[in-house]
Amino acid sequence: MTTYSTNDTVDAVVIGTGAGGAPLLARLAMAGLRVVALEAGAEKDPKTEYATDERAQEFLFWNDERLSAGENPLAFGSNNSGTGVGGSTLHYTAYTPRAQPDDMQMRTEFGVAADWPMDYHTDIEPYYDELEHFLGISGPSDYPWGPKRKRNYPLPPLPLNGAAQLMQRGCAELGIRTSPAANAALSGRYYQEGVGWREACTNRGFCQAGCSIGAKASMDVTFIPLARAHGAEVRANAFVTTFDRDTQGRITAVVYVQDGQTYRQKCRNVFLCAGAVETPRLLLINELANSSGQVGRNVMAHPGLQIWGEFDEDVRPYKGIPGGLISEDTHRPFAGGSADFAGGYLLQSIGVMPVTYMKQLARGRGLWGPALMEAMSRYNHVAGINILGDGLPYDHNYLELSDELDARGLPKPRVYHTDGDNEKKMNAHAEVIMRNIWSAAGAKNVWAFPRAAHIIGTCRMGHSPDEAVVNANGQSFDIPNLYISDNSTFPSSLSVNPALTIMALALRTADRFLKSGE
Amino acid sequence: MAYPLGTVRTLLDTDHVTPATRQALQERLDKQPDWQGLTLRFFTPDEAELLKQLTARLLPQPADREQIDVINPVDHRLAHNESDGWRYDVLPADPDAWRMGLTAFQEAAQAQFGKPFTQLDSPQQDQLIGQMQQGTATGASLTALQSKHFFEDMLAELVSLYVSHPLAQEEMGYVGMADKPRWDRIGLNELEEREK
Repeated sequence: MTTYSTNDTVDAVVIGTGAGGAPLLARLAMAGLRVVALEAGAEKDPKTEYATDERAQEFLFWNDERLSAGENPLAFGSNNSGTGVGGSTLHYTAYTPRAQPDDMQMRTEFGVAADWPMDYHTDIEPYYDELEHFLGISGPSDYPWGPKRKRNYPLPPLPLNGAAQLMQRGCAELGIRTSPAANAALSGRYYQEGVGWREACTNRGFCQAGCSIGAKASMDVTFIPLARAHGAEVRANAFVTTFDRDTQGRITAVVYVQDGQTYRQKCRNVFLCAGAVETPRLLLINELANSSGQVGRNVMAHPGLQIWGEFDEDVRPYKGIPGGLISEDTHRPFAGGSADFAGGYLLQSIGVMPVTYMKQLARGRGLWGPALMEAMSRYNHVAGINILGDGLPYDHNYLELSDELDARGLPKPRVYHTDGDNEKKMNAHAEVIMRNIWSAAGAKNVWAFPRAAHIIGTCRMGHSPDEAVVNANGQSFDIPNLYISDNSTFPSSLSVNPALTIMALALRTADRFLKSGE
Repeated sequence: MAYPLGTVRTLLDTDHVTPATRQALQERLDKQPDWQGLTLRFFTPDEAELLKQLTARLLPQPADREQIDVINPVDHRLAHNESDGWRYDVLPADPDAWRMGLTAFQEAAQAQFGKPFTQLDSPQQDQLIGQMQQGTATGASLTALQSKHFFEDMLAELVSLYVSHPLAQEEMGYVGMADKPRWDRIGLNELEEREK
């Protein structure tokens, strides 16, 4: 494996190895660049070190404390952020629908959020196509929504579990179209360049607590090995604290702490890919790249209301890919006159691991005593559906540094999140539809768990340095050799799960950078 | 549907469980509960006694098997100042929040019944628990929002620890740890032999 000295001036340092960092790392390495990735978390061997046990897997989460403020405080930890070589892809659900073109035109269509400073068909779609085939995404041959795809998914969809079958049943009753969902988990053995054979999914249902099979396309079994095969070095347990800069303000070295030692990696360029909390936090701590005043602004999260119900059937919600089924019939629900909000949402069936479910039930229903024990005993009969909707940016939602210091002596971030009118209307609209679906499917004891997922948007990209932190290539307007590649740059939150689009943008950023010759 | 006592122990000895999974669950099963509180590092003996009685109301365990200890794991976490990644901004850091929250139970008990929480009868305890959850407990030096959020956090953590224990899992009918070599029967009403 290639290694570099901290005194080697490498072409690029990539901070973070999740969906924003890993694809870009591989792309740069394949172009012959000398690249080093710094990952705050550890590197583990999923095959021998991952347990089928939620508590034992908590090391996958970013567990440094964040302060959640506002009227709808966001949960972090197991939600929204990961750590380890592979980042939060280590515990993402692998749900990988494509965004639709209108998702990137929310300003044009509704006068809200901001348009993406790029063209869907030339800037994003080709990368979706490439990614689906590289990662081995399993999906239907005839997907009912969005533009026609150039090629089919490389693998057929994963089998439907109980929750997916129930959603299918309820939706059929109501005339809502459904489809097996696209998931970045292999429905068959798959050969991948630079990686080798990856084994098929065994339906263990533990995607959100880490895949021990290698079937889920987390970065540690896809882009990271590819990057390493082309000479990239990945340093784990390396926490970046600051940068050295020259008199022009360009970054000359990335300063990080590893095993209590401080190191300075000299470099020509930096790609900051630490996610929508740690990316702005690092910039704010160092007062960098913020002439726009937009670092930490525009916090968005996806409305993710869940509806749970109990069924007569044995559901066994711990088996199978959790999000087996999808409907995008609600992508633009106002078209039929039924909604009065901007954007839309997708519907997804959800299986659930026992601790996650009971923890949510404790928070959401507040049950305790005999009622709690009773609800626990019905776990095998539980299934859920949820939405993933476009959440808008508001002035009142932002990230700042608090006065409280963490164990490293760095200020803890505080994130304000309060639903706007649009989110409230969307959730209300979705709650009616989902309750109807579950009722049609035969659910009893139905309850709603309001939540928001995927913090997005704290370093917005755009055309103007007055309104955005980076340009469409991910390049900082203030520091020309600093790039950002993660969900913090999204101008709007999209009505789909973000991972596939984060990866697409990462590859695009890498290609633009390589083309620019810097 | 509950599985008989010992179901998970038996499964742990089979090839249906990976070594990493076996190790995590076996450790949890083998851990001897510390009901005397001898190893507690964070909670004072009074706080531990309060929490023990509180937990008995929140998570009433079947009496005819060994009891699952959810107090020591919380104590360990707070003593090591470990976080789960976030907290409500209206609450102080977790160790202070727990102290404050448990104190509030005592304050409310004194104010309303003139004696400590631990000397109340079960209906009285349940009444105070309900008030703390709703943020309506008079005498407690917490805001209503702090009271609600602390209670929610506390309940979520205790429940998570409880459900993580193999004895609770077999009672709720969960054998998902036995996932080798794979699950093929995953649809409605479809069970593998080892799930029957």
